[in-house]
Amino acid sequence: MKPCIALTKGRLEKQFLEYFQSLGFDIQPLVKKGRKLRVDTEDFQFVFAKGVDVTTYVEHGIADLGIVGEDVLTEFQPDVFNLLPLPFGQCRMALAAEAGGKWPERKRKIASKYPNITKEFFRLKGESVDIVKLEGSVELAPILGLADGIVDIVETGTTLKENGLIIKEEFHQYTARCIANRSSLKIKKDCLTPLIEALQKGEAVT
Amino acid sequence: MFLPAGSQDETGQQINNRFHAYEIFGTVTKRRNFEAISTPVVEYAETFTNQYAGMALQSMLKWFNREGEIEVLRPDWTTAVARALVNQPPSQLKWCYQGSVYRSDKDGMESRQAGIEIVHTPVFLGESECLLTAVNFLRELSISEYVIELGHTGIFEELTAPLHLSPAQLEKLRQAMHDKRKDEVLHLASESGSERAAEELTNLVDAFGSLEVIEVYEKHWKSNHRLVEIIQHLKKLAQLLSDCGVDEILVDLGRVKNLPYYCGTMFRGYLKDNGATCFSGGRYDKLYEQFDEQISAVGLAFDVDVLSDKLPFGKEQEKICLVASEESHAYAEELRKKYTGRIVDIRYALHDSDRADYDQIVDVTKLNKEDKVVDK
Repeated sequence: MKPCIALTKGRLEKQFLEYFQSLGFDIQPLVKKGRKLRVDTEDFQFVFAKGVDVTTYVEHGIADLGIVGEDVLTEFQPDVFNLLPLPFGQCRMALAAEAGGKWPERKRKIASKYPNITKEFFRLKGESVDIVKLEGSVELAPILGLADGIVDIVETGTTLKENGLIIKEEFHQYTARCIANRSSLKIKKDCLTPLIEALQKGEAVT
Repeated sequence: MFLPAGSQDETGQQINNRFHAYEIFGTVTKRRNFEAISTPVVEYAETFTNQYAGMALQSMLKWFNREGEIEVLRPDWTTAVARALVNQPPSQLKWCYQGSVYRSDKDGMESRQAGIEIVHTPVFLGESECLLTAVNFLRELSISEYVIELGHTGIFEELTAPLHLSPAQLEKLRQAMHDKRKDEVLHLASESGSERAAEELTNLVDAFGSLEVIEVYEKHWKSNHRLVEIIQHLKKLAQLLSDCGVDEILVDLGRVKNLPYYCGTMFRGYLKDNGATCFSGGRYDKLYEQFDEQISAVGLAFDVDVLSDKLPFGKEQEKICLVASEESHAYAEELRKKYTGRIVDIRYALHDSDRADYDQIVDVTKLNKEDKVVDK
């Protein structure tokens, strides 16, 4: 049976395909997939899902390997092998607030898609905060007065800037990572190792 | 009415398979001279969360009792059995158990286990008996497609001992090894200042696979007496398994303990087709230190839910329907004796749609005060 790889849809998917092609793999069936969520190439089966769902498919052994952002891994702590960083998907986690806004002295309210990362960040600082969990467009929260600040990933910083926010502190550097199911890596070692080594070395397969 | 997430009703074959697995387990362990032990479902949380057992309270199903102490539903058998065995005569060396464990971090909260614990027994003998009992049990269940993995806690301990890491750093490194996160292992081990040790630990992440890995590392570590001793021990166990007909044995020399009480050989069984872990266990002498006992202890637990799913649906016994009446019911009951070893159902009427459920249908009628049997 072909190894199954779960791929995070969207920006990471595009970056992975470019990288995958640079290693000499055929990506045509993946580029032409249309709206299909499961695509077979000659050597692999790919499934496409949201980042957190990629970790679920890998944890349950439906997919052998997964390509997912480290932010998702840090937030959800899935029970998988977290094998290696990939040379794309670079971003950083940052605490941001309204430019010129007052950083209140009382207990602060922080909006984030990443409540666990936020909690850990403030715990290490020794500060108690109230966390408001949002699903997206987190930058809105300080502007509309829902929160005093946000904790979110930043790639270029453009979205923050355009919404009048500034970075107060950066605290994690992330990349995309390759993860593996804990059993698959051992039982299917022979067929997974060449791919993992290619992803790690960044060298074309021979 | 609804069920909480993770809870489920079960019927028919699913239950039959589980009973079958428990029954076979009981027979196999009895034949191998294991004594059954059972511990209560409700215990104090402290039994499992103390520094020796080291389990996380968050994952337990718990509540406060009237005295304000935290009680839990049994989250782990090994720890509970260790507590119970301290009060048992040391002459009994081999123990077996079966029943549920309850954890909120597992699918379904309740999972069924069957396991063995061997105490006061020489190291190789105890570990061999554990593994061969597993092989025996799987064979009796007609499960042949599995892989046994061997590992040892001593390798990581030996390689990290010279690094003088703080407990927090060591725990981070252990977690990175557990996740096979090579970049983090390299980063953390490099902080110790020893490039050689960092490289050694990083390479150890990939030291898993067939028995060739053992051969490679036996040569590689030839100048380290402790590591050679560990490698030769694993090699002997692998040889024993091979001699007893186990085809596929893996080693993972980079495996680290995921509970603090493991201290030596660790084993795990995977089903080949779906990769599910069907058993896991290892040596845990340290667990008994909480009772001021120096005891050799080793054990393993089977995941009975995983095994039950794997069992083929057994051939149904022949099903017979005795169609009787209130008057002929006593005679029909008497007739059961004629059909020993088969499933016999008594009904007063049988709809056409139900006939396909039975292999044989027998009318039991009373004619002229005499009971009659008419095969249909």
